[in-house]
Amino acid sequence: MTMYAPGSVTELQAVVRESERIHIVGNGSKTALHCAVNGAAIADLSGMSGIIEYQPSEYTVTARAGTPVRELNEALRQKSQYLPFDPLLPEQATIGGTVASNLSGSRRFRYGGVRDFILGAEVVDGEGRTFRVGGKVVKNSAGFDLSKFLVGSLGKYAIMTELTFKVFPDVPRFRCLGFLFEALEDALSAIYFINQSAYELDALDLAPARSVPPINRGKKDGNWKLLARLAGFDDTLPQRVERFSAAMTGDTATIQVEEIKDSAALWNPLADLSGEFLVKVVIPPKQLPAFDVLIAHDHRRYSVGGNIAFAATDDIAQLDAALDASGLTGLCLRGAVDSAVIGVPIDNALAERVKQVLDPQRKLV
Amino acid sequence: MNRAVIEALELIYPSDRLLTRDVELLPYESDALTAFSAVPGAVVLPINEEEIIDTVRLCHQMALPFVARGSGTSLSGGSLPIPEGLTIGLNRLNRIKKLDPEQRIAVVEPGVINLHITEAAQPYGLYYAPDPSSQSICTIGGNIAFNSGGAHCLKYGMTSNHVLGLKVVLADGTVTTFGGESVDGVGIGPDLVGLFVGSEGLFGIALEITVRLMPQPELYRTVLAAYNDLGAAGDAVSMVVASGLLPGAMEIMDRLAIKAAEASVQAGYPDAEALLIVELEGEALQVGAEFDQLLDTIEESGAFEVRVAQNEAERTRIWKGRKGAFSAVGRLSPDYIVQDGVVPRSRLGEALVQINELKEKHQLDVANVFHAGDGNLHPLILYDGREAGALEKAEALAGEILALCINLGGSITGEHGIGMEKRDYLPAMFSEEEIDIMQALRRAIDPNEIANRGKMFPGGEAPALSQHGMHPLERAGLISRE
Repeated sequence: MTMYAPGSVTELQAVVRESERIHIVGNGSKTALHCAVNGAAIADLSGMSGIIEYQPSEYTVTARAGTPVRELNEALRQKSQYLPFDPLLPEQATIGGTVASNLSGSRRFRYGGVRDFILGAEVVDGEGRTFRVGGKVVKNSAGFDLSKFLVGSLGKYAIMTELTFKVFPDVPRFRCLGFLFEALEDALSAIYFINQSAYELDALDLAPARSVPPINRGKKDGNWKLLARLAGFDDTLPQRVERFSAAMTGDTATIQVEEIKDSAALWNPLADLSGEFLVKVVIPPKQLPAFDVLIAHDHRRYSVGGNIAFAATDDIAQLDAALDASGLTGLCLRGAVDSAVIGVPIDNALAERVKQVLDPQRKLV
Repeated sequence: MNRAVIEALELIYPSDRLLTRDVELLPYESDALTAFSAVPGAVVLPINEEEIIDTVRLCHQMALPFVARGSGTSLSGGSLPIPEGLTIGLNRLNRIKKLDPEQRIAVVEPGVINLHITEAAQPYGLYYAPDPSSQSICTIGGNIAFNSGGAHCLKYGMTSNHVLGLKVVLADGTVTTFGGESVDGVGIGPDLVGLFVGSEGLFGIALEITVRLMPQPELYRTVLAAYNDLGAAGDAVSMVVASGLLPGAMEIMDRLAIKAAEASVQAGYPDAEALLIVELEGEALQVGAEFDQLLDTIEESGAFEVRVAQNEAERTRIWKGRKGAFSAVGRLSPDYIVQDGVVPRSRLGEALVQINELKEKHQLDVANVFHAGDGNLHPLILYDGREAGALEKAEALAGEILALCINLGGSITGEHGIGMEKRDYLPAMFSEEEIDIMQALRRAIDPNEIANRGKMFPGGEAPALSQHGMHPLERAGLISRE
């Protein structure tokens, strides 16, 4: 297998032009995305790294695609700003890989996902051409928005070399509450209550109670825990937490409320998901009860208010079947698979037109 | 329009929904970019998605250019008819098919009026966030085609950020669906919703739209600050941002815009060179604390007068002048062009100084109203279309303003789109190769280039530059330009 490590856009263009088929990898943190490349040459973009321009006063940052998310997060943190889509694998992934696989973390709940914060990109397409898509200012509606198209595109249409994002000011303090529920349906009702309320949560995740710390007594199989995070400033946060807690106790079927020490590990939705295969599923919350029955033996967490499911399993065929039966699509992130996209195939009519234009020789795999 | 086309359309539409007589076509000859007009060959008024699909397939077979139209409020000429082409009026597809407050989503047809979604969601404490000034009349289908914005984009984004799923008919008649009811939208695979939204009607027509709804903020706090200097107001915006606040809206108006708004709606604005409106929104406790911080910042910024809305009536009054500023300017001048350029926020002051110089150079009046939070300028260039050469002079100034936006590192359009109006400026923003790629993409979807032909890309046949004065709906106070 031919391996390349281009250090510049020009080198990458040459690699694309020379290769018959080419597959892109950043830090390789999503192993399942890199196993079905069938002899294609591999271009490792982790060398094309670094922040190019960061203007805190503009709320914009531009970085090369191979930049580690960790580095970007740290630079933003120094100016009390953050990427509100909350890259899912902050310690492992590159920013290019995060965009290509559209992986947001729990804090996506507050302001939106990758698609809501990408402003523009520079790419190399399957013909080896380099060009810009989108813009570098926070608002722009000129031309077709190919920058959003790149989100989730898995490097199969064009290779991102540089990305520009909108960023937001971050808040200094976080508090986390855990609400225990007898059953999944009760926990979902609580999410629906929150959805129609004015409480502004920083994150809202749902998981089987036994899988979430602190593991304390009284939890039974079938119990679910809702993790709610509030963010804000010292002077009002305690009151807001109290108020939210009281509303939840009064208006939902929670059987126990506890404050949990806030930590990065608590808000890593993948932290407790052990299993050979790890899959992201995009799911409307109302489909969760039926889907959950089908994957009851898997480790799982329903993140972003129950809109994104992460499931870990040793039996990928069974999970694939569960997705099929539910009309859902999954993206496998970990494990050896023939195709990273499982479950119901995606309607590809419009994407295929883009492929014809950007990669007519179908080099990018 | 040739007989064969009409006969084919007659197979889809009864005579009352197939308009071909001049008197029936006249109301469709312009949109809110009133400097242009063109008479379509025919107008059809479908009542369901099957009719739209049949129509698009027919257009594809016959290579007949078409434009989809909602309420015709485009400021860039996006829904301007194609001469001898077909206009597909979508207002009758106006059903909200599903409203699910628990999941905070709505599924709607393209002819649903923007504000009607909010009205339907209000009883559940929810609203549809994008708020273009024409929201009481513009349709969601048009919002999708042009990725419409509004005053509250900085925090929650534009139309594209609020669309989760789409069913569309592409220009070659292919019907395809992407995204769904999860807030992650398309989620897996390329973000096709993101690509389709803002494609200015060149890819096809949205048939069914899933939008996300937002919880109504518990509290708004709105402040109006008056300055003796436009630059100081611009600097205040940077100071607010630097203080770590994330307001829902930050708007600036200059003296001429203030004067127009005062004459029109008597908002009671102070006599000033510039007014800044800042609005915070969110949980009451949080907003309360942030508001103290905001007032300190405004204090430091050198405002000579600061007014705080004490109740909803006062908040409405502050916004009334701002939201009505565009139509108000129409009172000062028989005609005007609205520009929509974007500059990096920190260069707002520079941009305003340069616009001022240009206005002196061209001897034209320009009123400035803008979404300062995201650097989106809306200079209104005043002219009298009855004077020979006046429109050309105004357009020359408009072109120079667009050039300065690009030079400062911005964009030629923040939320109105390229449409007919700015198509000749696309090459100033994108390279030849980038435009070639966009054209190739368009042809991969629409080999006959029939969908909204003549828009976005430079060249092509241009409709007559004829009309002047306000749009009839604007004159009636139903729509405004922003």
